[in-house]
Amino acid sequence: MHFTPITPYHYLLLSAALFSVGVIGVMVRRNIIILFMSIELMFNAVNINLVAFAALYRHEVGQAFAVFVIAVAAAEAAVGLGIILAFYRNKETLNIDEMNLMKG
Amino acid sequence: MTYHLLSIVLFTPLAGALVLLFVPRAQVDAIRWIANAFALAGFVVSLPLWNFDVQAAQWHFVEKAEWIPSIGATYYLGVDGFSILLILLTTLMGFISVLSSWEAITDRVKEYYIVLLVLQTGMLGAFMSLDFLLFFLFWEVMLVPMYFVIGIWGGGRRLYSAIKFFLYTLVGSVVMLLGILALYFYNHTVTGVYTFDVTQFQQLAVPFNIQRWVFLAFFLGFAIKVPMFPFHTWLPDAHTDAPTAGSVILAAVLLKMGTYGFIRFSLPILPEASHYFVPLIVWLSVIGIVYGALVALAQTDWKRLVAYSSVSHMGMVMLGMFALTPVALTGSIVQQLNHGISTGALFLIVGIVYERRHTREISDYGGLSKVMPVFAVVFLIMTLSSIGLPALNGFIGELLILAGVFVVNKLWAAVAASGIVLGAAYMLWLYQRTMFGTVDKPENAKLTDLNLREFATFAPLIALAVWIGIYPAPLLRRLDTSVARVITRVNSVYGPALAKSNCTTPTAPAITRPPAPTPGAPSLDLTGFAACADEAAPKKPGGK
Amino acid sequence: MMPLGFTRLDFYYLLPELIVTAGAVALLGGDVLLARGRHRLLTWVGLAFLGAAAVALAFISGREGTVAQGMYSVDGFAVFFKLLFLVAAALTILMSHRYLDVEGARPGEYYFLVLCATLGMMVMAAGVDLVTLFIGLETMAVSFYILVGYIKPSRRSNEASIKYFLLGTFSLGLLLYGMSLLYGLTGSTELRTIATTLAGGRGGPLLALAVMLLVAGMGFKIAAVPFHAWAPDVYEGAPTPITAFISVGSKAASFAMLLRIFFEGLPAFRMDGLGTIFGQPLGWTYFFYVLSIVSMTLGNLAALTQNNLKRMLAYSSIAHAGYLLIGIVAATPRGVMAALVYLMVYTFMQLGAFAIVVLMRRQDVIGDELKDLSGLSVRQPAAAVAMLIFMLSLGGIPPTAGFMGKFSLFAAAIESGYVGLAIIGVLNSAISLYYYVRVVVYMWVRREEAAAPPVVMSRALALVLIVAVAGTLVLGVYPRALFDLAQASASTLGRADQALGLLR
Repeated sequence: MHFTPITPYHYLLLSAALFSVGVIGVMVRRNIIILFMSIELMFNAVNINLVAFAALYRHEVGQAFAVFVIAVAAAEAAVGLGIILAFYRNKETLNIDEMNLMKG
Repeated sequence: MTYHLLSIVLFTPLAGALVLLFVPRAQVDAIRWIANAFALAGFVVSLPLWNFDVQAAQWHFVEKAEWIPSIGATYYLGVDGFSILLILLTTLMGFISVLSSWEAITDRVKEYYIVLLVLQTGMLGAFMSLDFLLFFLFWEVMLVPMYFVIGIWGGGRRLYSAIKFFLYTLVGSVVMLLGILALYFYNHTVTGVYTFDVTQFQQLAVPFNIQRWVFLAFFLGFAIKVPMFPFHTWLPDAHTDAPTAGSVILAAVLLKMGTYGFIRFSLPILPEASHYFVPLIVWLSVIGIVYGALVALAQTDWKRLVAYSSVSHMGMVMLGMFALTPVALTGSIVQQLNHGISTGALFLIVGIVYERRHTREISDYGGLSKVMPVFAVVFLIMTLSSIGLPALNGFIGELLILAGVFVVNKLWAAVAASGIVLGAAYMLWLYQRTMFGTVDKPENAKLTDLNLREFATFAPLIALAVWIGIYPAPLLRRLDTSVARVITRVNSVYGPALAKSNCTTPTAPAITRPPAPTPGAPSLDLTGFAACADEAAPKKPGGK
Repeated sequence: MMPLGFTRLDFYYLLPELIVTAGAVALLGGDVLLARGRHRLLTWVGLAFLGAAAVALAFISGREGTVAQGMYSVDGFAVFFKLLFLVAAALTILMSHRYLDVEGARPGEYYFLVLCATLGMMVMAAGVDLVTLFIGLETMAVSFYILVGYIKPSRRSNEASIKYFLLGTFSLGLLLYGMSLLYGLTGSTELRTIATTLAGGRGGPLLALAVMLLVAGMGFKIAAVPFHAWAPDVYEGAPTPITAFISVGSKAASFAMLLRIFFEGLPAFRMDGLGTIFGQPLGWTYFFYVLSIVSMTLGNLAALTQNNLKRMLAYSSIAHAGYLLIGIVAATPRGVMAALVYLMVYTFMQLGAFAIVVLMRRQDVIGDELKDLSGLSVRQPAAAVAMLIFMLSLGGIPPTAGFMGKFSLFAAAIESGYVGLAIIGVLNSAISLYYYVRVVVYMWVRREEAAAPPVVMSRALALVLIVAVAGTLVLGVYPRALFDLAQASASTLGRADQALGLLR
C-alpha cells in the first residue's frame, strides 16, 4: 500500500473543515450553549492551523500563539457561561430567539 | 497691522452674547438693553470701515494670524469696498432687527438675543474671511442660529420651515466644501503649498475641466442661498414662518451670502467656468425674475408676497452679475444693498401690522392709511424704493444692471425689464389693497400708528434709500477697485482698460468667448457712468 | 535571538500600562477592604491612577522604539491612542459615579473592569505583533462582556451581554483564523516581518481569504455594516457609561488595531495583489471602501427612525465608523491623521452625549427615550446647551470639533482621488443632521411632561460635561494642537514600511 505523507495541506484542510462546521453551527443553531460550542470549534480550527504552521516553519511562535488562544478561550468560556447562566435564571430558556426585549 | 478693526467688528456681537449668558433670564429688560447696546456698538465700531483708501486696489484692514498651520489654514481677515458695504449693511440691519424685536419677542428672551448676536458674528465673519476654511466655518455658523430663530420664535409651520431651510442650505454648503477642497489640493499640486488663502486662489489658473466641477459645487452652495430659481422653495416658507427680525436678517443679509460668494469666489477663481455657465445662470435668473414676480402677484399672504418679490429681485442681482460687465456688476452690488434696505424694511412693515393684528392675510387689511398715516408714508417710500422709482435707491441699481446687460444681450434686458414692470404691479397693488379704500374691518379702525422705537427702526433705512437714490457717487466710488478686480479676472476684454484707469470706457472689440457683447452697443453704454460718475465729487481723505 | 526577559528601559516604556494594572488591582483590593458606604472613594482612586498613567505617558511621548523583543511598540501612534483611552476611561468613571448608586450596583469590580478594559485598549494600540494584539483585544473584550451585563436585575442588560458575548467571540474566531493564515503565509506574527516577507510577492487566494477574515473580524469590532447587528442592542441594554465607553474606547482601540494590522502588516496590498474584482485589481482598501459607504448610509438611515436615544446614538456610531473608514480608504498619512483627529474629537462629543443620557437616568426613570428630553432647555438649560453642542458636533457643524474631524476626513478622500466617497460622506452628514436636530427640537420646542421628576446634575457629571464641551469647542475653534499631534502620531505608523517605500 502507498501512504501519502501528512503535509501541511492536510492540516489546513482539516482546520478549514472544522472552521466551516463552526461557522455553519453559529448560523443555524438557536441554542446558546450549542452556539458557544460552535464558536469553540472555530477556535480549535485556529489552533490546528497555528500548530501545523509552527511545525512547518520549525519554530515555536505558532505553538505559543496556540497556547494563548487556548488560555483566552478558557477565560472566555468562564465569563460566557456565567453570562449565560444569568440569562437562564432570568428567562428560563436558552433559545436565542427568545431575546426580544430590544427592537428597532 | 496693529489695528484690529475687523476683529473688533467681528467679535462685538459675540461678546454681547457672552455677556447675556450671565444675565439672569428673569431680568428681561436688562437683557433687552444689553442686547441693543451691543448691537448698536457693533454698528458704531463698524463705521470707521467707511473711510478706506478707495483708490488702492489691495485688501484693507488686513489681519493675519496662524490658525491651523499643519493644513495651511490661517485667521486671515481683509475687506475691499464690496465687502465693506455689505458689512456696514449687516451691522446696521443687525441693530435694526434687534431693536425691532423689543416687543415682538416675549418668550425665551435671553436665548433669542444670544442667538441673534451669534448669527451676527457668523455673517460678519463670512464677509471678512479671506481664508476659505475660515469663510466656510462662519458660513456654517450662521445655519444653527437661523434655524433656532425660525424654529423657536417663528409661527405657523415653523418646525417644517426651519428644517427645510436648514437642510437645503446644509446640502449646498457641504458640496461647496468639496469644491473648496478640490481647489486646495489643486493649488498644492501647482505651487506645492497647502493654503486656503483666497487671494492666492484668485491668481490661480485652474484648468477648465476642474473649474467646471468646482464651479458647479460652488454654484449649489451659493445658488441655494441666493436663492436662484429651482432652489428657492425654502425661502417663502422660511420667510413666512420666521419672526420679523428673522425675516429681516434673512432677506437683508443672509441672501447676500450667496451673491457675495459668487462675486468673491466663483467669478475671480473660476473665470472660464463662469463664462461657460453664463447661459445657465442667466436663464435661471431670468426665469426667477419673472416667476417670482408672477407668483408674488398671486399671493394673498402679505409676507409671502414680499418673500417672492425677494426671489424676483435676487434674480435681477444674479442677472447683473453674470452679464460680466463692469456696469452690470456694479449695478448688481448696488442692487444687493438696495434689496437689503428695501426688502428688510418691507418685512419690518409686515411685522408692524402683524404685531397689531396677528394676521398676514392681505384681505384682512384695507384703508390703513387713514388710521396709520405715518406708517402709510413709510410703506409708500419703501414700496417705491422696491419698484425702482427714480430718486430712490432701487432706481440706481436697476438702471445700472439693465444698462450693463443691454450691451451684452438685448433679450435678457427686455425680460428683466418686464420683471420690473411686474414688480411695480404687485407692489402697488399690495399697497392699494392694504392702505387705500375704506376701513371696512372694525379691528383695523383702532390700530395705533408707529411709536418712536418703531419709527427709529425705519429712519435709517429711509435715509439710506433717499441718499443712494439721489447721490450714489460715494457708494459707487467705493466699488471701483472691487469691480475692477473681479472683471479683469473674469472678462479680459475689460482688463487692460480697467487696469489703466478705472474711468476709461472700454472700447469693446468682439471677443471670442461667449457671451459676445454686441458690437456697437455703446449707444447706451454707461460703463463710464459707474466708474466716473463721481469723478468730480470731492474726494474724502481716504484710508486709515 | 535576544535573551528572554525585559530590560529596565522596557519597564520604563511600559509604565503607563503598569500603572493602570496597579490601579486595577488596587481597586479590587479596595472593594474588599473598604467598609460599606465608603466605596464611593473608589471613583477617586481610579481617577488618580488614570491621572498617574497620563503623567507617565507624558514622559514617554516623543520616544520611539519597541519593547519585549519587537512585540510591543512605543511610538507616537500608541501614545496618541493611550491618551485617548485614559481620557475616555476617566470620563467614564466620573459618569458612573452617581449612575451606579441609582442602579444599586457595586463600584469596586466595575471600576476594576473599566481599568482592565483600558489596559486592553492600550495594548491594542501599541501591539505590533499578532499575539500581542490578540491579547489586548481579549483583555478589553472580556471585561466589556461582564460590564455590559453588570446590572444583573436588568433583563435588557442581560440580553445585551449575551449578544455582545456571542457575536464578539464569533468575530474573534474569524479574526483569529485570518491571523493564523497570515502567520502560515509568512512564518511570523510580527507585523513588520509580515510586511517585509510579503513585500515583493503576489498575494494569492489564501492571502485574500486571510484579509477578508481580518476585515470581517475588525468590521465587527468597529461596528461597521454588515457586521453591526450587535451594536444597537448592546448600546441600548448596557449600563449607559459602559455604552459610552464601548462606543468610544472600544471603537478607537479597534481602529488602532486595524491601522496597525493593515498599515504595518499589509501595506503592499492596499490597491492590488489580492486578485481582481470586476476586472480591477483588488486590494484591502476596496473592502473598506464598500464598508464605509454602506455603514455611513445604512447607519444614518436607520438612525432617522429611532425614538430611543441610546439606540439612535448606536446607529449614529455605526455611521461614524463609516466616516472613519474614509481615512483608512484614503490610505495616506493624511488619511491616518484624519482618522486620529476624528477619533479624538469623537471621544469628547460621543461621551458628552452619553453623559446627558446618564443625567436623565433618575430614580424610576430610565430616561433614554427621546421624549424624556422634552423641555430640557427649561429644566436644565446648561445640559441642554451642552447636548446641543454635542449634537451639532456629531453632525459636523462648525465651530464644533466634529466639523474639523469630518473636514479632515473628506480632505483625505479628495486628496486620494475618492471624490465619490467624499460626496457620499457629505451628503450623509447632511442626512444625519436631521436626526441630531430632532434631539434639539425635543429639548427646545417640546414641553416637558408634567409629572417628570426633576433632573439633578451631580458634580461629577457636571465635570464630565464641562470637559466634553470644552473639548468639543476648543478642538473646533482652535484645533492646531490636535492636528499637530495627530500628524506627528500618524507619521510614526508603519515607519518600517515607509523605509521600504511601500507607503506613499
